[in-house]
Amino acid sequence: MILQQCANGIFLGAVYALFAIGYTLVFGVLDILNLAHAAIFMAAAFAALWLTASGWPLPGAALAAVVFAGLLGIGLDRVAFAPLRRRNAGTLAPLISSIGAAIVIGGVFRGLFGPDERRFPEGSFAAAQFHIGPLTVGALDLIILGVALGLMLALSYVMRATPLGRDIRAVAEDRVAAALLGIDLERTIALTFFIASALGGAAGILIGLQYNSVSTDMGGRIELKGLAIIILGGMGSVTGAVVGAFVLALVETLTVASIGASYRDAVAFGVMFLLLVLRPSGLLGKRALRAA
Amino acid sequence: MRNRSGFIVAAASFSLLSASVASAAGGPAAGKTVKVGVIADVTGAAGVYGTSQKNAYVLAADDLAAGRIDAGGAKIQFDVQDSASDPAQVVTLTQRFSGDGSALLIGPTLSSEAKKADPIAVRAGLTILATSNTAQGITTLGPCVFRNSLAEEQVVPEAVARAVARWKVKTAAVIYGDDDQFTKSDFDIFKAALDAHGVTIVDVETFRKKDVDFKSQLTKIASKKPDLLVVGAFQEEAVKIVVQAKQLGLNAHAIGGNGLNSPKFIELAGPAAEGVVVGAAYYPGNSYGGNREFVARYKQRFGSAPDQFAAQAYAAAQITARAVRDGATTSEQICTAFKRLPVVQTVLGPVAFEPSRDVRAASAVLQVKGGGFAYFK
Repeated sequence: MILQQCANGIFLGAVYALFAIGYTLVFGVLDILNLAHAAIFMAAAFAALWLTASGWPLPGAALAAVVFAGLLGIGLDRVAFAPLRRRNAGTLAPLISSIGAAIVIGGVFRGLFGPDERRFPEGSFAAAQFHIGPLTVGALDLIILGVALGLMLALSYVMRATPLGRDIRAVAEDRVAAALLGIDLERTIALTFFIASALGGAAGILIGLQYNSVSTDMGGRIELKGLAIIILGGMGSVTGAVVGAFVLALVETLTVASIGASYRDAVAFGVMFLLLVLRPSGLLGKRALRAA
Repeated sequence: MRNRSGFIVAAASFSLLSASVASAAGGPAAGKTVKVGVIADVTGAAGVYGTSQKNAYVLAADDLAAGRIDAGGAKIQFDVQDSASDPAQVVTLTQRFSGDGSALLIGPTLSSEAKKADPIAVRAGLTILATSNTAQGITTLGPCVFRNSLAEEQVVPEAVARAVARWKVKTAAVIYGDDDQFTKSDFDIFKAALDAHGVTIVDVETFRKKDVDFKSQLTKIASKKPDLLVVGAFQEEAVKIVVQAKQLGLNAHAIGGNGLNSPKFIELAGPAAEGVVVGAAYYPGNSYGGNREFVARYKQRFGSAPDQFAAQAYAAAQITARAVRDGATTSEQICTAFKRLPVVQTVLGPVAFEPSRDVRAASAVLQVKGGGFAYFK
């Protein structure tokens, strides 16, 4: 049973991680907390659902929805962040405008799709279950874990080994200096938003599939957890966010298994508090993104 | 959202103008207007339930206008306001209806909201009719607080008795939400019913509102191999619980209360809902009090079958119309009329109020069969 519980925790952690890395990427580069990340997460899930319902095969629909999420992220930057950036508005004003953007996106999708929970059409994804020794594992769980890990590796490759990654790291290090060295600041920031939002969107689609449930308030459930994860991982650290996500998911799952769900959040956040007391800058320290 | 409810009010009053023409057969209140304040969570966490309720009042307003519900020539104007699943907004709206000439308050959607808001209306002397508050201790909030929803304690024991007898249940495991009045009282009521039949409860697990992952709890339950899985949850969580239970290979029979009684539960849970037994206050297939027409016209207008919340809201309109037909137009008169209410034929079946102001009606034990609810035999 403990093995099954660990497997449950790992599958949960994969989705948490995917959500959190997009969240932390924007923070690492721009030093702003994008609270509309959860709204984009939700928007992508709805886009994938809508496309699937209108007859697209799921992989195509998911891919299109991920691109849609990325473009929505660029739009979000243009509307909610870029004007403030030009006026040197600091970090609090963008925080508020991102909350505003989240409310607007949420309102639009509620208007379009209503408050009801939706599910993907019957048979649009693999529902097979495997029994590996004492474990029961869904095909979908494995696909989700694979996609999540694949996307994380791809991001890490982009950040380390491509010109774009170099630009993003340079902008994160020092925006002014990067601009002086000829890096196109706005383009780099737009691409950062595209990547972060596309990852957030992928998380939305995957979690919508895993629980076969898409609703306009689905972002609210994961938002606080995502925030906790990126603080635990070390603000701005992508690897830290991944580690933080698995730590949180495993602590949650094992708490439910051993103590009970009533204490789940208390224990999970208690553990995080202790870790932060020991390492105030998070598991993987500060500015790990810049070093990446 | 304000615009939308404004539109509903406008639509309601517009169509009711023609109501007085359509059913000119005058009762003692003929020609008078009775304003009814409705508080429903049309948006937010409980938006699924509030939307059903709002739809039912839109339909009821039409039916009053067309004379399908007889209010004796009086106009009943439903002022449906969205409380957005926000207890503070429920309180604000309750204060508003307590002072704007409303003769009756219908709502709010959730028991937890009612416990906060009802005392305000009670102090202002406003009669309340709850249509979806099923927790214990609602009607005791004031001398004119009524409810037409069968409480969990009125539907669960019968459902448990039938399930235990049919499936020869010896052991059961319970999973319930411990942060909500409704799901919490679900646990107490199920436990009492199971104890009464000598069923051993082998595991009790809890969850929180809005949780989506129940695999840890269900893995634990599966390891105890119970005969019966008791689900004390609202539809949203119940869907995921039965789906994930199936995924983890938990093959116990499942049973739940009013929270599961919704076509949406079957639609969202799909094949995993098959066989689940539900103790409920409303069976969509019944043929009482205009229910068939109600179901057909609701489907036609809103594109989905009415759930229990819609039926209870529509029944509230039928009950209110009956009181108004007998001449009640003020809050005090409606309270008195409700207390003396004869058996009214509603979409829920024949309904009257107990001296405790709780509803007297028959409960239905249903089972999901072939993608729909049927009587559990």
